[in-house]
Amino acid sequence: MSTKVGDIVEDFHSNNGDRITDKMSTVHRHHETSRKESEDESRLPALEAAYTDILRHLGEDTDREGLLRTPLRAAKAIQFLTKGYHETIDDILNNAIFDEDHDEMVIVKDIDMFSLCEHHMVPFFGKVHIGYIPNKKVVGLSKLARIVEIFSRRLQVQERLTKQIATGISEALQPKGVAVVIEAAHMCMVMRGVQKMNSRTVTSAMLGVYLEDPKTREEFLYLSRRT
Amino acid sequence: MDRSKQNKYSSNEKNDNGDGDSVLNGHFDGMVKRAAGGPQAPGAESAPHRSTSAVMESWKEERTRSLEDNEMSLPSLAAAYTTILRGLGENPQRQGLLKTPWRAATAMQFFTKGYQEKIIDVLNDAIFDEDHDEMVIVKDIDMFSMCEHHLVPIFGRVHIGYLPNKRVLGLSKLARIVEIYSRRLQVQERLTKQIAVAITEALQPTGVGVVIEATHMCMVMRGVQKMNSKTVTSTMLGNFREDPKTRDEFLRLIKS
Repeated sequence: MSTKVGDIVEDFHSNNGDRITDKMSTVHRHHETSRKESEDESRLPALEAAYTDILRHLGEDTDREGLLRTPLRAAKAIQFLTKGYHETIDDILNNAIFDEDHDEMVIVKDIDMFSLCEHHMVPFFGKVHIGYIPNKKVVGLSKLARIVEIFSRRLQVQERLTKQIATGISEALQPKGVAVVIEAAHMCMVMRGVQKMNSRTVTSAMLGVYLEDPKTREEFLYLSRRT
Repeated sequence: MDRSKQNKYSSNEKNDNGDGDSVLNGHFDGMVKRAAGGPQAPGAESAPHRSTSAVMESWKEERTRSLEDNEMSLPSLAAAYTTILRGLGENPQRQGLLKTPWRAATAMQFFTKGYQEKIIDVLNDAIFDEDHDEMVIVKDIDMFSMCEHHLVPIFGRVHIGYLPNKRVLGLSKLARIVEIYSRRLQVQERLTKQIAVAITEALQPTGVGVVIEATHMCMVMRGVQKMNSKTVTSTMLGNFREDPKTRDEFLRLIKS
């Protein structure tokens, strides 16, 4: 869960400054799941009842044709949108780390990301760009996208999401550096509240050489820019 | 209390008003009846006489929710959201989630504020007599709605065109009509039609065309997960339906 990883990040940075070392790797792979996939079915009725309540209190008629099965659909939808709580990094990464004598930057950019704002429970979505410099260990490329999925399919705050992705990769690979940039549109700002249609929020997390060396950071930002 | 008359669009289409000659059953054969007072409004009670006052009657039936209702429903909505948070495996007591049920509840009320408003309030003052009979188009109206099947946002753009018949409407009122109908639990097809019908009833124009192009988060964020898919729906009434050249002009002018 998010608080546990928050603790990890705290420990991480207070103990190590910002250097990524090996000893933290095994210690901090706590089980982050706060929800078991098998429990989802059993929790559906409670969610359904809550959604039926919501529909009624919004002034809708829950017996009209279009809304008859909406509580069930909405409950399943929101379980899907928060399925990141099921998964841990260990589960998806364990097999796909390879020893490779490569120490140049690897970037996976334009990863579509969909998350839920934890303050309004309204979607925010955008693109994630990830770069890392391997230290003899490279990771399967799709695993970077899967890490994004694990952390984004939760009730999130964009700042925390960025950091969780960065620390997740750091812990798994112990690379020389990790950089994560997220650019997203927040429906809570677009559809309601200030209603600024075109506003985008950009957050970034730089660890290791990306933090220390401006030229490395610059290369990453240049290569991951919108073309 | 029947709380969603204006959304019982499909069921009203099946109602038989027994009047005979004017457009009933909600079936639009493209005829915009001016003398007879216009086609059946969505969600209207059957009005026995077809005059402008009947049209006004139908507008009066639209409101189902008041600000007081909102106040009173807020605690129950917040409680429902707390249940949802718990059911998802989150801890509602952590700092970031402490006031989320209230925020989510107010947000949801905002997304369905179309239920609080009536067309008649929005339009009453802004209909002007103008000797203009050329096409008027307002395009690229940003639209945000909620899918009634998954309670997930829909957003896109609405393009509206109409041929006035001596009466024009304040331009922002077209956007306000879009707001009233889109800020509800909707189905894109129904939304398009409701907008077209509202304009028809307000102005009795020679023709109305409405095109909506939208992205459905229920298809993008979940389910089939097709990132770039868009859904386009249109409603053409009156001249726009009968005359291909008019329709053509409209469609060409809204293309960007």
